[in-house]
Amino acid sequence: MGTNWKELADSAKSRSDIYGLLTRVFREEPTEAFIKELKGPRLSGAFSDMEIDLGEKFYNDSKSEVVEALVLEFTRLFIGPGHHISAHESIFVEADSGAGGLWGAKTVEVKKFIETTGLEYGAGFNGIPDHVSVELEFMQQLTEWESNKWTQQDRKGAEYCLSVQRMFLEQHLLCWISGFCDAIIDQAEMPFYRVMADLTRNYMEFEQQSIKTDTAA
Amino acid sequence: MKKLNRRNFMKFTAGSGFALAAGLGGSQSAFAGSIKLQAGGRDFSPTTKKERQAIPSACWQCVTRDAMMGYVEDGRLMKLEGHPDSIRTLGKLCAKGQAGVNQVYFPDRILYPMQRVGKRGEHKWKRITWDAALDLMASKMKPLFDAGTPELLMYQYGRHKGSQSSIMHDFMDAFGSHTIGTHTSVCEGPKWVGQESLWGGMYDNWDYDHTDFVVNFGSNQFETHTNHIPTSQRLIRAMVDRNVPLYTFDVRLSNTAAKSTEWIPIKVGMDGLVMLSMVNVIMNEGLFRKDHLKYMRVSADHHASEADKIAAIKKHVAKFTPEYAEKESGIPAAKIKQVARGFAKAKSACLITYRGTVMHYHGADQERAAMLLSAITNNLDRKGGRVMGVGAGWKHPHSPKAKVQKGLDIANGFPGEAAFPTHQCSQQNLPMIKDGQNGRPTVYWSSCNNQAFINGNNKEAEEILKDEKLIPFFINSNIVYDETSQYADLLLPDVTYLERWDYEDMVSPTGVAEYYIRQPLVKPLGESKDQGEIFYGLAKRLGIELAYKTKEEYVRQSCEMTPGVKEAGGFEYMKKHGVWHDKNAEPNFGFYEAKVDVSGDGVILDKKTGVYWNHKKAGVSAADAKSKGYLGVDGAKNAYVAQDIDGTPRKAYPPNTSFTKSGLLDFYSDNFASKGFPAFPTYTPIPEHKEMGKDDLHLTTYKVAVHTHSRTSHCKWLSEIKHDNPAWINSKTAAERGIKDGDSIKVASDLGEITTTAHVTEGIIPGIIAISHHLGRQQSGIYGSGKKSPTTIDAAADPDAKNMWWKKHGTHPNSIIPNSSDPISGGQRWMDTVVKVSKA
Amino acid sequence: MSDEKTPGISRRNFISGVGTAAVGAAAMVTPGANVEAAQKKAPRWAMVMDLRRCLGCRACTVACKAENNVSLGRFRAVIKEKTMGTFPNTKKAFLPLMCNHCEGNKEDGVPPCVKICPQFPGERAKFKTADGKTIRYRNGGTYKRPDGMILIDKEQCIGCGKCIDACPYGVRSFDPFVKSGGDSTKQAVDKCDMCAHRVDNGVEPSCVNTCQGRARIFGDLNDPNSEVSKLVKEHNLDKGNNVLLPDEGTNPHVFYIDPDNLLKTLYTQRKKGKLDHYMDQIP
Repeated sequence: MGTNWKELADSAKSRSDIYGLLTRVFREEPTEAFIKELKGPRLSGAFSDMEIDLGEKFYNDSKSEVVEALVLEFTRLFIGPGHHISAHESIFVEADSGAGGLWGAKTVEVKKFIETTGLEYGAGFNGIPDHVSVELEFMQQLTEWESNKWTQQDRKGAEYCLSVQRMFLEQHLLCWISGFCDAIIDQAEMPFYRVMADLTRNYMEFEQQSIKTDTAA
Repeated sequence: MKKLNRRNFMKFTAGSGFALAAGLGGSQSAFAGSIKLQAGGRDFSPTTKKERQAIPSACWQCVTRDAMMGYVEDGRLMKLEGHPDSIRTLGKLCAKGQAGVNQVYFPDRILYPMQRVGKRGEHKWKRITWDAALDLMASKMKPLFDAGTPELLMYQYGRHKGSQSSIMHDFMDAFGSHTIGTHTSVCEGPKWVGQESLWGGMYDNWDYDHTDFVVNFGSNQFETHTNHIPTSQRLIRAMVDRNVPLYTFDVRLSNTAAKSTEWIPIKVGMDGLVMLSMVNVIMNEGLFRKDHLKYMRVSADHHASEADKIAAIKKHVAKFTPEYAEKESGIPAAKIKQVARGFAKAKSACLITYRGTVMHYHGADQERAAMLLSAITNNLDRKGGRVMGVGAGWKHPHSPKAKVQKGLDIANGFPGEAAFPTHQCSQQNLPMIKDGQNGRPTVYWSSCNNQAFINGNNKEAEEILKDEKLIPFFINSNIVYDETSQYADLLLPDVTYLERWDYEDMVSPTGVAEYYIRQPLVKPLGESKDQGEIFYGLAKRLGIELAYKTKEEYVRQSCEMTPGVKEAGGFEYMKKHGVWHDKNAEPNFGFYEAKVDVSGDGVILDKKTGVYWNHKKAGVSAADAKSKGYLGVDGAKNAYVAQDIDGTPRKAYPPNTSFTKSGLLDFYSDNFASKGFPAFPTYTPIPEHKEMGKDDLHLTTYKVAVHTHSRTSHCKWLSEIKHDNPAWINSKTAAERGIKDGDSIKVASDLGEITTTAHVTEGIIPGIIAISHHLGRQQSGIYGSGKKSPTTIDAAADPDAKNMWWKKHGTHPNSIIPNSSDPISGGQRWMDTVVKVSKA
Repeated sequence: MSDEKTPGISRRNFISGVGTAAVGAAAMVTPGANVEAAQKKAPRWAMVMDLRRCLGCRACTVACKAENNVSLGRFRAVIKEKTMGTFPNTKKAFLPLMCNHCEGNKEDGVPPCVKICPQFPGERAKFKTADGKTIRYRNGGTYKRPDGMILIDKEQCIGCGKCIDACPYGVRSFDPFVKSGGDSTKQAVDKCDMCAHRVDNGVEPSCVNTCQGRARIFGDLNDPNSEVSKLVKEHNLDKGNNVLLPDEGTNPHVFYIDPDNLLKTLYTQRKKGKLDHYMDQIP
């Protein structure tokens, strides 16, 4: 058997890392530490390779200025008051029963899906269960576990993790994330969230392609 | 941005700081990590291992009405559990709730309409169709409706709550009868009357999640309570997790007393006195808090200064020294002081009371003492204290009301019996019918109320029900043949709560209301039918228009019109999820401090009381309003707007019940004074107790964890655990009478005598005898009484019946307890009976 | 696995995708380090009874009756209560009892009920662990599963009743509803099985689910981060004193947090040949 276990594990770990980054981006307002990391040599190198440009001000302004501006942008985009983008699946996916809206039917589906895997929402998490960052973090976990399975040379386990990812992507994340990203790109005033939304969309398209390929294989 | 593909993807991520970045910035993971079994929400068959269908619904074994999940297998109800998403119950259910399955499937269930064929009480029945039953009912009711005497239809109910209550009232309004009897005065009516005279509302709960100290008088909260599961689990959690002490004053070592930091035995009827002596200690030692004083009225003057108020309270309680309380209650003065100090010094504290405190002569006043103790320590409607519970505010459809609206004055006791029977004087409903001075209904329909078992002097109730001259036509809706239904002319098979629709509204102890529904877990067994459907069947025959055809439709409409529930998705949402609450709602602690806008048209300030009220809403001119004043205008309380508190209009405590009062807590009550009762909480000795002979004992009753008063003895899993109710008696008291554990004993009151068994124990004070009041059934199917009911269609319905092993069924104490009411509230004085006990 | 990739896949399939136990599925996708230990072997299910929190409310007793359709006349779980002392210094206490799911003595690791079963050791059986590994064990009328549950196979049971007498705790009784598979003239033996049908599907036992005091804590002792493991550690429950009848050498896996020493004052060993101490009655 020519299985390259390490390559499979690394690939899953890379996916997990991207999901982790996106989770962080959408979970809450950035901190200085986070901005520092994004400006750091390793990430900025990777970004420029991919022709991802966060704008001049991002790189030139001080960390505290960047944070201050992005906190306002985050609040305006995702929190309100007033018109904002509610980052929840149930808002973007209209349920048949009319049970849409915050904490809708989709919310419960997501919550149940996640809890069925043995995970539970942490006591400190007080958001709504189908927040975009929750769904991304769930994918981060699933891909990380997949990576662990490959490392243990446990093909069955890893494939099982993959099948759960596939189900979650198809039933949930892929159904709405591009609409969510479109809304951000449309409404963002600074490059940061527009670019991150673009990256998210880009990455999710890649994931969608990967799933298809995997299924065919 | 480049498109990501397989080739550049790894390059993009490899060695990058993504992994690190993701962990930065204090962003908390949404998930907890370790293996965790799900607490509930799913269930499986132990035999086939198949997953059972899960349906959210609501319990109804007792009035707590926990939101729950039902698990169904091939159309049969198998299991019940707490609803995992309920903010009230946190997914828990009690023993009674767990036995709910027994309510659907017990061998003696009434499943078809039955018409009496022999004499009343001869137990001869024939099965009839629903059409025939409805025709028969309509034939009795139509003449009343047509003749403009709708009040001659009386509806008597026990537990009707949520939509079960509102749909019944809707039908009775559509028919025009206000002759409606309840049961609350045999439960805890005096408690509510005491609270309403102060709060202007009722239903106390306790914020155990934040409290630091708990004192309990006469409540068995760990076994049974009107809000049992939501409150008791929070109390034990506070005790173990946060070392919150619980002191229980009780005549008996209940499970609650047993789990308390300390059980403090107290003599019968002394709760109010001990509370007042605690007030005495707290006032004289300067341990009181002034915060709530501005919302309290403690003398005739609505505008008394803080210093005046403090002086007045001290004066009122001056005679209730701990030493005096020790003499009367048997509790050492030092203990009273210790608990009083602990209560006052704690950051926050809860005071619990229940039947042990209030089912007495002047029971309503004892509850007022409990409120006083809470208020002077600033533990009323505050975080961590005694709080007015918050329930769901459902909207529901209304049918057109009949033109003629009348009622017989027979629900509130005999003339002069009770001054403020705001929760009726239901133990006297049947005696009033017998008496006849205020008229008699010709059609008497009772539902979920076993009057011939639950009231005092229940043998008399039986005789009245049996008498066709007193009650010409008697309809009983029931699931079980019981002490009452055996005398019915028409027996209607009710659905169980596991087969019907309802919206529900029981209060939440967290200060945030929970909306929840009950939905059928299985199809109604046999031909059992919900009252809602019966109302429609009758309305059609009577030519009355109703706003709904079925109970389901009624509940659906209610869901679609109730704010919050409607936006969440209405009926479909509730069907799927069972529970809903406003995620943004804050607990209502401190609600009384809310500032109120008094600029509205017609709002004026009443100088005497400090009440802002709307004279236009009250329907009087400005001049009249001024000359008569707020207290002088009938119905002015319905136009209450705010209370002036030190120059600021605040919500305070609106008079939302029948008591006319200001927005202050009326610890000085004109209402009470005007009827010759103590204006300020006091200690009034119980008349019967003053005349007790040396050999006389007090008789008290109580509840255990596995039974409701009268609706669970046919539940086999409960009766298996508790089917006999021997009388608790202290070893010393027993020895004085030569009684040993297990002896047959006679208990005699002025009313009569029962023979029961002695349970000699150290867990009760000397000088009393205590008998639980659930058992001693003469009917209630084989599990309840050992007797099969004559209506049984198929007694073999439960293959477990042959495994029934217990032969004892207990002795009912109510036949030696007279119907006698608290003259303030009309509450049945369960705890005041004097008896003689001897070896049989 | 490969044909389970369509989105229409049902939750049941999803749950039971790997191995017999859905807990397996849960464990599979549970984060790394914490679970490593648990993945190499089966879980070791255990119960901690926190007596400080038991209210004597009997919800567990009745929940068990309902969950398992236990016939009248016997119980799988009971509360014992006792009043002690002299008025006014009277106390009352509660002690929940169930099958202890004993590990068995140090020498052979077989509890007495299993040892005496004529049908044990029976056929070889396989237990799938969380990560899909197989542990082999012997079944029987009564047997110990690798996850520590002492179970009864009513098909194999011959209704001889020897295990009823062998159990020092008296938790076993004949089930009047079920004939023993091995002898159709006899009734099968029955007792608490920790709601294996729920646990195998990732759900807590019924008595735990309904316990309002949260006096019953159920979980995996092989997972150092489980609540039971933490409680055992915090309260030193594994020193042999916090179980029923430690001198029997049965090594019970129901542990009691017992600050008031109720195990000594309240528990009475069954009388030989009798099961009446295992009836739940409120005086």
